[in-house]
Amino acid sequence: MGLSLSINGDRATPSADPITPLVDVLREELHLTGVKPVCREGFCGACMVLVDGTPTLSCLTPLALVENCEIRTAEGLSTNGVLTPVQAALETADAVQCGMCFPGMVVSLTHVLATTPSATRDDIRAALTGNICRCTGYERIVEAALTVVRK
Amino acid sequence: MSDVSATMDFRRRDASDKLQGRTRYTVDRYLPGMLHAAVLRADVASGRILKLDTSRAARMPGVRAIVSTADAPGMIGIGIADHPLFARDVIRYNGEPLAAVAADTLAQAQAALAAIEVEIAPTTPLLTMADALAPEAPLIHPDWESYEVLLPGAARGSNVAWEATVVRGDVDAAFTRPDVVVVDSSFRVGRQNHVAFEQRAVVAAYEDGRFHIETSTQVPWTIRNATARLLGVSPAQVRVTVPPVGGGFGLKFDLAIEPFAALLARKSRRPVRLVNSREEEMLTCLFRENAEIRIRSAVTRDGDIVGREAVVLMDCGAYGGEQIFLTTMTAHTLGGNYKLGSARLVSRAVYTNTAPNGAFRACNGVYNTFALERHTDEIAARLGMDPLAFRRRNVLGDGDLGATGQTFEGDVLGPMLDRMAEMRPSTPARQIGSDGRLHGRATTVGTWFVFVGPSAATVNMNADGTATLVTSGVEIGSGSMMQGLPQIVAATLGLDPANVIVRAADTDAAGYDVGVGGGRTTVSLGAASLSAAQEVRAKLLKVASEMIEAAPEDLVLRDGRIEIAGAPGSGRTIVEVATRAQATFGPVSGTGAFTGGTVPSMPGCAAGHFIEAIEIPVFAVHDCEVAVDPDTGHVEVLSYRVVQDVGRALNPRAIRGQIQGGVTQGLGYALHEEVTIGSDGRVCQTGFETYRVPLALDVVPVEICLHEGAPSKGPLGTKGAGEVPILNVGATIACAVANATATRVQELPLTPPRVLGLMLGRTPELAFPHISDRWSDNLVRPHGASES
Amino acid sequence: MQTAMAKGSIFVARSLPDALAALDDRGPTGAVFAGGTWIMRAPIRHEPLAANYVAIGKIPELTAVTITSETIEIGAAVTHAALAAALDGLPEFAVLTMAAGRAANPAIRSAATIGGNMATTQFAAADCVPALLCLDAEVELGSPEGCERMPLVRFLAIRSTLAPGRLLTRIIVQRKGRNSAHARLPLRKAGDYPVAIVSLAISCDAAGRVATARVAIGSVEPIARRWERLEAALIGHPIEPERLAQLAREFADDFTGRDSVEVPAWYRLSVLPSLVRRAATAVLAGA
Repeated sequence: MGLSLSINGDRATPSADPITPLVDVLREELHLTGVKPVCREGFCGACMVLVDGTPTLSCLTPLALVENCEIRTAEGLSTNGVLTPVQAALETADAVQCGMCFPGMVVSLTHVLATTPSATRDDIRAALTGNICRCTGYERIVEAALTVVRK
Repeated sequence: MSDVSATMDFRRRDASDKLQGRTRYTVDRYLPGMLHAAVLRADVASGRILKLDTSRAARMPGVRAIVSTADAPGMIGIGIADHPLFARDVIRYNGEPLAAVAADTLAQAQAALAAIEVEIAPTTPLLTMADALAPEAPLIHPDWESYEVLLPGAARGSNVAWEATVVRGDVDAAFTRPDVVVVDSSFRVGRQNHVAFEQRAVVAAYEDGRFHIETSTQVPWTIRNATARLLGVSPAQVRVTVPPVGGGFGLKFDLAIEPFAALLARKSRRPVRLVNSREEEMLTCLFRENAEIRIRSAVTRDGDIVGREAVVLMDCGAYGGEQIFLTTMTAHTLGGNYKLGSARLVSRAVYTNTAPNGAFRACNGVYNTFALERHTDEIAARLGMDPLAFRRRNVLGDGDLGATGQTFEGDVLGPMLDRMAEMRPSTPARQIGSDGRLHGRATTVGTWFVFVGPSAATVNMNADGTATLVTSGVEIGSGSMMQGLPQIVAATLGLDPANVIVRAADTDAAGYDVGVGGGRTTVSLGAASLSAAQEVRAKLLKVASEMIEAAPEDLVLRDGRIEIAGAPGSGRTIVEVATRAQATFGPVSGTGAFTGGTVPSMPGCAAGHFIEAIEIPVFAVHDCEVAVDPDTGHVEVLSYRVVQDVGRALNPRAIRGQIQGGVTQGLGYALHEEVTIGSDGRVCQTGFETYRVPLALDVVPVEICLHEGAPSKGPLGTKGAGEVPILNVGATIACAVANATATRVQELPLTPPRVLGLMLGRTPELAFPHISDRWSDNLVRPHGASES
Repeated sequence: MQTAMAKGSIFVARSLPDALAALDDRGPTGAVFAGGTWIMRAPIRHEPLAANYVAIGKIPELTAVTITSETIEIGAAVTHAALAAALDGLPEFAVLTMAAGRAANPAIRSAATIGGNMATTQFAAADCVPALLCLDAEVELGSPEGCERMPLVRFLAIRSTLAPGRLLTRIIVQRKGRNSAHARLPLRKAGDYPVAIVSLAISCDAAGRVATARVAIGSVEPIARRWERLEAALIGHPIEPERLAQLAREFADDFTGRDSVEVPAWYRLSVLPSLVRRAATAVLAGA
């Protein structure tokens, strides 16, 4: 018997053990491989998903705790391949390099821009404290987010 | 040649999927029937294997295959083949592989590892280079003389895996001149972990008698050839394909875990997935090596460097690997930047009982530039000269000799220093901030190169007006394969770069390539691609010339058309021409190849070097301001500026992105990222809690000037631009912190405890008892002496 | 699965009696699962997981912050983020707002709980422990037999030997009109655990002299504790940051630094005086 949750708008009843980290359920059972298990201890943010709208580390969240929750991953933010304003701004800014951190980055940025519509540069940088990027040096990510704020 | 698409901020085609989490990296590949693998690793740094019994493990639930040293008879290496896949009889580092298991689930594979019976008799490990170079030290490789030598001529012996020397001019005479001051400096740096977000990962299958290895690598051909060598099979039996790579930075410039998966796939007849845990990534990283450097210079009171000598010790860990090659680089990095009257340098790769080190963005260059630039500041201080004036006076210019006697072309560093002088504020090198913090500023220079070497490319001109570029290049994140290469092909063929399809690396489809790294993608793969595109262009022009009834030399390719120069709208579309060509002669394609030429060095100057002169030098000037908290030792970077020699910028925006990212990695190296090795020989930093990379709050926007126009043999005048941005960050931060704190900075990283220790006088001056005062006493055999 | 996590059960309790009954039922094989940010790292750290977890994060009475004119009561499963938000605008609790609002990183703060922060024995750098120590917090432990209240300092002493079935349910802090501040020192700007923490709560008399003082030091030793000698030296004097720093230097050997991979022991001790000065300066600014 699996417990039930909503993932990117679809119902799912994964069969994994309830203590299983959500990241493994998403990747291995539901094939949402945009969720990246990079450090598995909450420092890098690459496995971040929105759980009922809150950025959540799926590596530290057991399946049992998201029963009946609405989960949204980077795969489920855009609609029919149309990028969200944050994703579009990052693409326009040529911010992406290897890309591994971006599913989590996008989740954090989506949340900070939704909850702090007039976010400053420092607000955005602080919101990214738990999202490591090893390629870009962050600057373009922050700048892209600011272009969304200014719109 | 049309330039329309050769210089532009062409967007990456892979960004959209990456932003939506849709890109499938190697870690995301799951095949039907796939097994999961895990590797048993030694938990001592040094010992003899008394027993390794896998029989009980083989009976564990779900286990499909177990492999160990008998399955991999070969040895690999660079310069010397000293490295087996599994430890054979002897353990040389904590973490060395002993066996690998494939099972239905990872949990089963891990349970089976625990059931392998291992007995090891530990021996005393040599954990530091000082230990390894001690006169009575045991040999980490007692059989070193029996190893196959892949590049003859280098000095080796005891625990010195490789020794490269440079001698130019009469250094002894320079140091005994009556009109010189002698400045003597010592430096030490730790290791750096790449922290590529995608762990090293592989999915291997054994199909039709061949191995198919899908892997996260920068070097598909190295994986092909080295796997074959280890397994004792023909390289033609190995096919390597490479999905998008989630970060490389040099980590993936060498073979890693591919052979384990390949062996297990062959044995189990099932596809096998093997992905390093983050802890394995941290412990067996192929780090940027730790190094110890002593450098002495004889300088006249006027500021001429008449003699320089240096000893550079590079810790290769338990096996030679990349460090053997990197001994070469000291000549061009520590021996770079400045005009030298005479020079002698020795660079030694030293075996220790620690995890093997590897390649990392601007390998060797970052610490030698740190040492050289701090040393330069110490010289200027001793002479009472302004450090900038000293640099301006001494930097390499047109016609100047490098350490190995190569002649540099063009005045590059001088004008770059002048440009930096315009960008930089005129604050003093040291002042107290209004908040009580100690402010410091510094400017440094650096010399790097493009690692040229063989590349191949094929361009297929499709009748629909698109072109397909086939190479063994890999997209590791830098964008070279997404931006630079299609831009070069498109510019040659008059296409929109979006109409150039780039084939992902497949050793069955494209010819040999050295790999993506060393700043060579745009240069070497770019040159091969250019040449392939030019062949296509010539074929198209020939057909078009008949269709348009104009001489080929009067035709231009632009905007998807072939038309008469100066008559826009004349001629035919490329679709029409390509279609006609296909119908008449068959499909149009072109091939291209490239490898470095030979810039000469002075005969006899260099010994044990893989590259005696650098084909395409790349220069950088960096400047920064820091504020140091006198209470805690925290260093805040207030501003950072870069003037970078790029030859010609095909995609300026992409290059700026590389500079911001590279400088940030350098800030990690300079300030935060520390690797220590415990008494058990194990790396202490097992994850991101203790290995601290810069976060968004720790960085500053880098002010960037791209310096164009320096001579380059790269296609369209390009140079590699992605590797060099990290080169002088450690140097610049170190010089600025030394200025701010008025202390003698000799080590990196400048973590808060290290800086506070310096300011409190807790840190004794560095001394290296294992580096002899007499330069020649540091050599296995005299420079120029032959073997035997 | 990637981590090969051992199979274990997890029961998501919906009420406090449910949780207490479940813990009682599971006895020594059971353990409390609050935010999970520490427990879920067990495989990474090669630590064993408990066989049976009882999750308390969905229990309404444990996820509430109740603020009255006399006390604030914090449910054990209140997250750091929720606590920082609830206390925003209460200057007396600046120390706790800062501790809860700056610990770790945003996503950790929205998962990690105050109860977990108090109960995790191996977590020397927990921000909220010294913050609550300097506020003289009390904790309430529940069990099927009833509940028991004790000072936080006592709980810290017995937490590793608590009998199975007992659950930290609430943290209670009296409102006393103090001024407080939290000075923490991560090695980067943010995002890592502080290598030293000074939590300070002070009340002054009408003349501006210190009437009561609490100084708690975190991360320097394995368990946070108060700096009683420094507290005593503050009484009767105005708040003078420089003097406090000087006293901290004089009393430095009251602590034995913790050596770790991140920093050597001496460093944690070396930075204490300046953190004391910063905390005092912040208290003055907030007063």
